[in-house]
Amino acid sequence: MSERHKIDARGAFCPGPLMELIAKLKLIEIGDEIEVWSTDKGTAADVPEWCKKVGHDCVSVDQEDDHWRVVVRKMK
Amino acid sequence: MASPPLFILLCSGEHENVQMAAMLASVAAVSDRPVQVFVSMNALYVFDRETAPDDRYHGGRFSREMQSKGAPDAIELFQQGKMLGEMRMHACSMALDVNGWEEERLVPELFDGPMGLTKFLSDAESGQLISL
Repeated sequence: MSERHKIDARGAFCPGPLMELIAKLKLIEIGDEIEVWSTDKGTAADVPEWCKKVGHDCVSVDQEDDHWRVVVRKMK
Repeated sequence: MASPPLFILLCSGEHENVQMAAMLASVAAVSDRPVQVFVSMNALYVFDRETAPDDRYHGGRFSREMQSKGAPDAIELFQQGKMLGEMRMHACSMALDVNGWEEERLVPELFDGPMGLTKFLSDAESGQLISL
């Protein structure tokens, strides 16, 4: 059964949230998801673009009150 | 289609330029794009292992802002690029010679040996070259 992991990268500057996401992706199982919280304004565009390039699935991008919430599923 | 390799020629010792080189290198490397970084001139001093961390970065207003607000450390970004992607770093052999340094003088486990400019330029013909 797949799991959802969470990374609270609020306050981290670019490319910190992306690097945290990538490091975590290496540790989880295929099918698992990671939910990244980020206050970096570039995250909402950067993470989907990165997923498209390397072959992971960007499940959702949502703006909360003070941060972005991006969910990525590990595909390979 | 695979992206062409990215070649970064880093000569400036200014924090802002070193930071941009580290950001470009690390993000490209983790995006399945091979990266080669060639460090020369004043940039070499940033990687002096004998420099205290607090004295490593010098620049202008933006450098001070980055340091006071905790932007990612440039050397840590280079290390992450190497760890998570395909990235190689080389110190310019001329710059080492001028300083009388060996590779051991540089931040450990970051560099993949000295390199001459001719070899770097030849390698860079296969990809995109950015100079900072």
